[in-house]
Amino acid sequence: MPPNDAVVFDGVTKSYGPVRAVNGLDLRLARGRTVALLGPNGAGKSTTIGMLLGLVEADSGSVTVFGGAPERAVRDGRIGAMPQSGRLIPGVTVRELVGFVRRSYAAKRGNQPSQATAVPSLDDLLETARITELAGRRANGLSGGQAQRVRFALAVAGAPELIVLDEPTTGLDIESRRGLWTSIRAYAEGGSTVLFSTHYLDEADDYADRIVVVDRGRVIADGTSEQIKQRVPGRTVSFDLDAPAAVTFDSLGGLPGVASTEVRGTRARLHTTDSDATVLALAKAGHVRNLEVTGAGLEEAFLALTSTRDNLTSAGENR
Amino acid sequence: MTLAYVRLEMVRLLRDPGYLVMSLISPLVMYLVFTNLDLGRQGSDGAAAYSMVGMAGFGAIGAVMGNGVSIAEDKPLGWIRQLRLLPLRPVNVVIGRTLCAMVVTLPPILAVSLAGGLVNGVSLGAGRWAAVVGLLWLGIAPIAVLGIGLGYLLTAQQAQMAGLVCYMGLSLLGGLWVPISTFPGWLTNVAKATPINRYGELSWRITDGHAPTLLGVAVLAGWAALFVAFAVYGYRRSARTA
Repeated sequence: MPPNDAVVFDGVTKSYGPVRAVNGLDLRLARGRTVALLGPNGAGKSTTIGMLLGLVEADSGSVTVFGGAPERAVRDGRIGAMPQSGRLIPGVTVRELVGFVRRSYAAKRGNQPSQATAVPSLDDLLETARITELAGRRANGLSGGQAQRVRFALAVAGAPELIVLDEPTTGLDIESRRGLWTSIRAYAEGGSTVLFSTHYLDEADDYADRIVVVDRGRVIADGTSEQIKQRVPGRTVSFDLDAPAAVTFDSLGGLPGVASTEVRGTRARLHTTDSDATVLALAKAGHVRNLEVTGAGLEEAFLALTSTRDNLTSAGENR
Repeated sequence: MTLAYVRLEMVRLLRDPGYLVMSLISPLVMYLVFTNLDLGRQGSDGAAAYSMVGMAGFGAIGAVMGNGVSIAEDKPLGWIRQLRLLPLRPVNVVIGRTLCAMVVTLPPILAVSLAGGLVNGVSLGAGRWAAVVGLLWLGIAPIAVLGIGLGYLLTAQQAQMAGLVCYMGLSLLGGLWVPISTFPGWLTNVAKATPINRYGELSWRITDGHAPTLLGVAVLAGWAALFVAFAVYGYRRSARTA
């Protein structure tokens, strides 16, 4: 294995009864990169993360983290994780909880002085996660955004080489999401490998060096955000309507190449498979005010890539 | 690091001491009531001492089962999984949790023993007092590990039920309430195979002026090995599914 790979999945499968959660997954994560793991509900993201953390055993294939078994990497304090949907325990303050987790890494690091990164001081850690002012509060009495910041602090308390964040921002308001991402990004800039899953495609677009899309337990797309978007050939042509009433949906939809239309206020958006023909037709009809041609967004690309699923649901249980 | 974990869990416990108080009060009250009714006088002078060991052990079982329930309550919060993702060996976490359980058995053991000595006139030499209390305390370790395994494997509700079965059922079967010599013969033999009876026997031998039997210690050690394997299995499994 090349030394620059932090994580390698090689032909990994995992079934729960008759359900194949992960079905021949191959994936390599290079060190020092931030990778987003996307996929519809039930695509196998959480099972994949579970195997990466050594919580779930693969049925076949191999998962290696830093060249060894995942459990080994966990035991050596090389991984920090923010698992999905955990809550903080009652009866402890934030400082006690973060301090304990930090100490568990520090004790391990003490046995292995050759390790490059030192465990940060508790005060620095609280600062990094922006929870200094919460230090004296009971851990179970925090708001959702505050609790996620504390859980992030637990993930990075040992300055691990790899952090794994399973839907870190789910359920948070926009401000909390931004705040958390500020911390995650700062941590990634320190050279650590970051793997995160999310339902917010803009987070993958904004923060990931690389996006891996999984569906039905295997990787269906893998690349930068730009590369993923280019997998979807369609373009969006948008322009201002002079008088909305004058143009009907039908007339726009009948233009060459147009697959679907959408009007928001005075702005029309046409999704087209042949933007050249669509633009020419629009010009002929005189609809050129503020005309703009854009590629598909990540969301369209994601939906197109995963739309072959017959049971695509927007809400439900993750495995 | 195990001690840091014990400290954290003890801090949590002391801030929510409900079950600590419960595990102290019920055996103490039962002991004082039972031994001061006619029931307690039907036996020899040894009845108060017998009952003291029985009720102290009963309280200790309640405390370790409560510890198991509190583990089960942590599970849905993801705390067990969080611990599993730290650089701590599973066996150290289980040992840490066992030490917590051992600490919480001290209040009922000490309270019932004090009541025995001060209220019920149980008189033993200093050495034998130390041996009785010490064995009551150390001997509960296997049961503490059992409670931990139940806590890791079961939901809080199931753990509560299983804990209650162990608390009441094993205490009764093990002879902590009434001597197993009063049982039918076959049941006496079953009782002798239980860890609780062998646990109580350690201290009863002392109050009767003997040393613990090798067989008794061996039976208890066998159960201990089984329970340790069970608890480590439970911990690893609970981290996987939680």
